[in-house]
Amino acid sequence: MVSMSKMGAVWRSAGSTVAERLFLDRQAEFWMGELDPVRSLGELRARVVEVIEETRDTKTFVLRPNAAWRGHRAGQYTSVEAEIDGVRVRRCYSISSGPSEALVSITVKRLADGRVSSWLHENVRAGHILGLGAAAGDFVLPSPTPDKLLLLSGGSGITPVMSMLRDLSVRDAIRDLVFVHHARSHAEVIFGEELADLAARYTGLRLVLCLDDDASSPRGFDETHFAKLVPDFAERSTFLCGPKPLMDRAERLFESVGASDRLELERFTPALRLLPTLTSVDGVQVRLGRSERNVVAKGQGSLLEQLERAGERPAHGCRIGICHTCKCRKQSGTVQNLVTGEVSSEPDQEIQLCISMPRSDLELDL
Amino acid sequence: MNTQSKNLTREEADAFGRELDALRQEVVADLGERDVAHIRQVIRTANRSEAAGRVLLHFGLGPVSFVLGTSALGLSKILENMEIGHNIMHGQYDWTRDPALDSQRYEWDNVCTGDDWRHSHNYEHHTYTNILGKDRDVGYGFLRVAPEQEWKPIHLTQPIVAAFLALFFQWGVGGHDLRIDELFSGKQTPAQLGKRARPFLTKAAWQLLKDYAFFPALALGNAPRVALGNLFANGTRNLWTFAVIFCGHFPEGVRLYDQAETENESRGQWYVRQLNGSANIEGNRWLHVLTGHLSHQIEHHLFPDIPAARYPEMAPRVREICARYGQSYNTGSFRRQLSSVIGRIVRLSLPGPKLAAKLMRSAPGEVAAVNFACAGRETVRESSESGEELAVRFPAPPLLCLG
Repeated sequence: MVSMSKMGAVWRSAGSTVAERLFLDRQAEFWMGELDPVRSLGELRARVVEVIEETRDTKTFVLRPNAAWRGHRAGQYTSVEAEIDGVRVRRCYSISSGPSEALVSITVKRLADGRVSSWLHENVRAGHILGLGAAAGDFVLPSPTPDKLLLLSGGSGITPVMSMLRDLSVRDAIRDLVFVHHARSHAEVIFGEELADLAARYTGLRLVLCLDDDASSPRGFDETHFAKLVPDFAERSTFLCGPKPLMDRAERLFESVGASDRLELERFTPALRLLPTLTSVDGVQVRLGRSERNVVAKGQGSLLEQLERAGERPAHGCRIGICHTCKCRKQSGTVQNLVTGEVSSEPDQEIQLCISMPRSDLELDL
Repeated sequence: MNTQSKNLTREEADAFGRELDALRQEVVADLGERDVAHIRQVIRTANRSEAAGRVLLHFGLGPVSFVLGTSALGLSKILENMEIGHNIMHGQYDWTRDPALDSQRYEWDNVCTGDDWRHSHNYEHHTYTNILGKDRDVGYGFLRVAPEQEWKPIHLTQPIVAAFLALFFQWGVGGHDLRIDELFSGKQTPAQLGKRARPFLTKAAWQLLKDYAFFPALALGNAPRVALGNLFANGTRNLWTFAVIFCGHFPEGVRLYDQAETENESRGQWYVRQLNGSANIEGNRWLHVLTGHLSHQIEHHLFPDIPAARYPEMAPRVREICARYGQSYNTGSFRRQLSSVIGRIVRLSLPGPKLAAKLMRSAPGEVAAVNFACAGRETVRESSESGEELAVRFPAPPLLCLG
């Protein structure tokens, strides 16, 4: 039996080599896309089935992924790829739907300076095709489900914990659950109606909304108020997602009572601080992901020169930005293009080492 | 028409370069939806043309469907090699971050491997354009295309050799990065050549299998017809690409450089050399697309990684800048450039006017001006896989916008 599956794997890999060498894979991909743009041999894509207005600035995009989708666990995120004016851009969003649902939903709050969230809000309608990434993240419910749960969220941080709540509801696993959510006002509570319905249906679910416009309670997260609302919080398996101030304060509170090990958090990536100087850098940490090495960039010169000075030998050609041999994927951090002055801060961007200056700590796929 | 370009001082060349940089910046800032739409449309046309060609060859009977099928297949190969493959592999669409348009991953439908091409063309030819002894594209090491090249008796045969190269051009391109000539000069051992040739031989074998075994086998009884159609389609593409590429660098008026005068060259001087080492072909939109916009060889050499479909709109601006700096802009009809190239290949097969050409080209004092002022620049010797190579390191160009 083992040898059968091994043989299958050998056949498959031989088949894909032949297809690639004869350019059949590229042609198959093209014609599949011509027939139906959501279909692909390997790329994960989804068709937007419905767009739901949740609140004034938040929309849910209900997606039907193609065959490459492998499902998700409640609390995980996916990356969504949009093509904005010819350029593909990826952003991570928590999945708000439960894992057993046929369709996958992401719920996106429109940010004032958010290029992708604004684009999604303005341009995406039912029928639109979006790129998708495999579900990822370890902010998930443990198995077996703990008896005493606390879901603590603020603003659009409700999305991953909503997926958890929906999952628990479908599995009829709501025993003793407190859901504390922070929002500016009643109208700004994402999934407000559904939350109220669930709270009415399950006796084991206690819903607490902390609203900024409620004069009887403090604005935002308040330790004393929270401890009064959920006196036994330290005994509960807690899942926390929300704006940074809320997360920081809640984290400190759990620390102070020695309950850190019961707290799971999902953080949004913090913005990186830009280095002020351009022509030279002082002690920038460059992490080379593939070779698992760390390099310190110091002094003058492009990233390529910095890496070479540190003993690395990245592939390169012209050294003047024309041949693209030294192109590499920057997984995180900020660099500036020495020819155009363009600053690249987004994760997973291709950069040319020979004409890039590091402007923050970096992680490269080298 | 092709008057001599004025010799520019380093400062003048740098000012010239800054104007081209500004033009480049303007276009880069404007890249977007329409550029992606263009290349996807060409990809669509190439794929449809290939499908039509294969259907006509595989299922057709008689000469009409054979000619139509072969033409459609030839057209798709020309589009795939030129406007799609060549341009994608230059990184012209890397900014889109579409994996299908990624320069480092793209593999084209001819016997030259993408990796060999990226090395010999994108890096060597585009960096050291028209520098004798460094740009191996100058006559590909066996043709004498400029009077500056030393005449050898073997060059008497070059009209015939060039005709063969035209017919089998993809094999010439595919074998180019193997540096077979270095075997004779002792710079490469047979073992090194064997190692270097492996990817090429592998790809060539697959290409032969595809064109002359796999697709004919699919056609069953029509197999000979399909094999012949594939051969003609490849041949058509070979002749066309040969003609286009030879018109790009070898017509009259295109300049060669020697290594000494390009040492410590600035970015501006690099631009000047790219301009004077290239020639354009005039024509309509179709000609431009079919040549992969190498009909705008000048713009391509100035801006090799800008989407080629932008060259026609950049050309008048480039020409205007050239005029202000007294630089000649070598352009002509396809017929004119091609006959100029053929005339040259025939004429230079005989011992030729090397000295006269040199004297005409450089006024006294020019060499001194070129080698003047190289403070602040360093020439770095570095090792690479292919041995010791000299790389000229430029200072970082001025930043055009901060933040």
